[in-house]
Amino acid sequence: MTDYVDAGEAVPHKTLSAVKGQAPQVSNVDYERIQNAASEPHNWITYYGTYDAQRHSRLDQINKDTVKRLSPAWVFQAGSTGLHSGSSTYSFEASPLVVDGVMFVSGPEGKVWAIDGKTGEELWRYKHASPYDVSLCCGNVNRGVAVGHGKVYMYTLNAHLIALDAETGDLVWDVTNGDVRAGESGSVAPLIVKDKVIVGSAGGEFGVRGHLDAFDAQTGERQWRCYTVPKPGEPGSETWPDDGEAWQRGGANCWITPSYDPELELLFQGTGNPAPDFDGGVREGDNLYTDSTVAIDVNTGEIRWHYQFTPHDLWDYDSTMENLLFDAPDGRKLLAHADKNGYFFVLDRTNGELVRVFPFVDRITWGDISPDGKVTPKVYPDEEGVPVHFWPGPAGGKEWTHMAYSPNTGLIYVPVQEVGATATRRRREFKESIPYWGAGVAVDLDDHYGFVAAIDPLTGEEKWRWRNEYPMCASTLTTAGGLVFQGTPTGEFVALDEQTGEKLWSFQCGSGHHSSPMSYSIDGRQYIAVPTGWGGWVEGFLPGLLGAAAGDALFVFALPEN
Amino acid sequence: MTATDSDRESELHAAGLDGQNRTALGRLLGTGGIGYAEEGSDGVMRATVRIPEDQLVWEPSILVFPHGGEIELTLINDDKNTHCAVLPNNGDPKIIWMVNHSKGTARLNLGGPGTYYYGSTTGNDEGRGLTAALVFGGEVPDSAKLDRPPQPRP
Repeated sequence: MTDYVDAGEAVPHKTLSAVKGQAPQVSNVDYERIQNAASEPHNWITYYGTYDAQRHSRLDQINKDTVKRLSPAWVFQAGSTGLHSGSSTYSFEASPLVVDGVMFVSGPEGKVWAIDGKTGEELWRYKHASPYDVSLCCGNVNRGVAVGHGKVYMYTLNAHLIALDAETGDLVWDVTNGDVRAGESGSVAPLIVKDKVIVGSAGGEFGVRGHLDAFDAQTGERQWRCYTVPKPGEPGSETWPDDGEAWQRGGANCWITPSYDPELELLFQGTGNPAPDFDGGVREGDNLYTDSTVAIDVNTGEIRWHYQFTPHDLWDYDSTMENLLFDAPDGRKLLAHADKNGYFFVLDRTNGELVRVFPFVDRITWGDISPDGKVTPKVYPDEEGVPVHFWPGPAGGKEWTHMAYSPNTGLIYVPVQEVGATATRRRREFKESIPYWGAGVAVDLDDHYGFVAAIDPLTGEEKWRWRNEYPMCASTLTTAGGLVFQGTPTGEFVALDEQTGEKLWSFQCGSGHHSSPMSYSIDGRQYIAVPTGWGGWVEGFLPGLLGAAAGDALFVFALPEN
Repeated sequence: MTATDSDRESELHAAGLDGQNRTALGRLLGTGGIGYAEEGSDGVMRATVRIPEDQLVWEPSILVFPHGGEIELTLINDDKNTHCAVLPNNGDPKIIWMVNHSKGTARLNLGGPGTYYYGSTTGNDEGRGLTAALVFGGEVPDSAKLDRPPQPRP
């Protein structure tokens, strides 16, 4: 036998592609600039567009008059190779960021790209390898990156916080922040505040102890960790059993990006469900700080106040979704939160005081909340083996997908899911990395619908709704053009009149929406970008479409150049 | 590197699952041998994988590493057909083209613990049997662990 032919050394896959490997240098994004993000509407430099999580673009070239001419400018396809974790549950969930014409966006399976925002050309890519067998409750997803300090930050499926060079995509540092053997994972879009990068835990269905962490943006050194379930003796520990181990597996994960008030220097973090999700018998008490908004001092990581939306949750009603900050006409600093439990809360964000609470969905059977905030559970799984049906189901009247605020109308546009579920309590012992629900759960396959609700947060009045055959499982976006953009589970991307809810435009993207659209402009041309790709926790929020086509394309729309 | 043998091998053979065009069309994934990487004094974990003639399998098809980190694979194609390997790697997957009777290397960085898969992404080599696992043991650093007492595991 002759000597072997020399096959050489394996090379990066991207070297056999048209990817450039280099993005143009963009101006530096820092804390000062993010505080004033609204003043540069051509960019979208932080997850929600601005720290207040309003998801509003001040661009108005695409407006009620022109939107009918809106057309695809380019499409970017994520693609995949080989076996990857959650191969049937991946979804393109991110909100892209744009800085000076360069788009930074993450996709499923640990991928990050820099893309030319004008042409769609792939400038660089980075793919973090995550194990095939990492625990993922809700699919192979990532909600976005943070850009700043010359770097791009992503929290990976296997709970690593990585920092990449913004020009080349090369790795700068990689810090392990979660225990994959305990069932921890990562999906949140990081947030840059001051010299810090903020990320939160995921793994609430596996009985982990939730936490929010701050890292030095330059070095990756952890500055603080805030656990969202107290240890015995700490404030809030009295809401857990004295003699039990429940707090150790208590949940309260932080898998959605917090909003932030620079004057108060407070992060407003929503926390996830307690664990086990449906078996409250092993965790008597209110179970702080699960299902809460916690206001966390960004400098120290200390909890300043909290408001719990569903004490002693028995329905999987995470409150991780955004806390939208706005000011009342009298200047009062408020916070709006549409919870999974079907109620819309307005809080004073300086102290957590309840200002107003009202239902924003049609069907609530689990219990009720009085105008003064008193919670009365009515229907819940408390008897072993007995099925209990309730509305909203565990994905909630609104899941993590975000609402948006229009400063023009003063309204908040909420993507609403009307889906019920049946849970049957099935107690089980806790074992690390094994799902810890304490129930069998089947979400309704029919009798569901959805709508975009235009809600006045100052009165609780629903001004209009745009009804859809299927629940709304994607974020809304408002623009100064008087438009509300919304993707549907069946693939349509629609533009609604912010005043009336009239549908003015739609485009079929070929796969359902479960992401957060955004807007930017380059050389005076406005773009609307929306990742598409039906997936994630479909069995939770819309199992009636479990058989719908998957996808992983990023669509970017603009008006014709001529 | 060592390989293990067991009754399972006999069972797979009896069922016709361990070869090409026997009970099924291709070879059932994961039915090859198990190998263990050796860690060098430089901290790099090394192992060799071969594609035997007409078997369309990476042998061993399960490689076990003590922990995540830098690894170096020697890849040998003893087959009389052309294959390739696309391997997971932090930063970007790596690819190597392997003509008949060729030998090459792959230097990879992978985190642990956990399992990764790689395959020959030409035609349907992956489906016929050329999909294999890289398995990393170990624990995450103490700094990444939850502040709680040790918990029961399955």
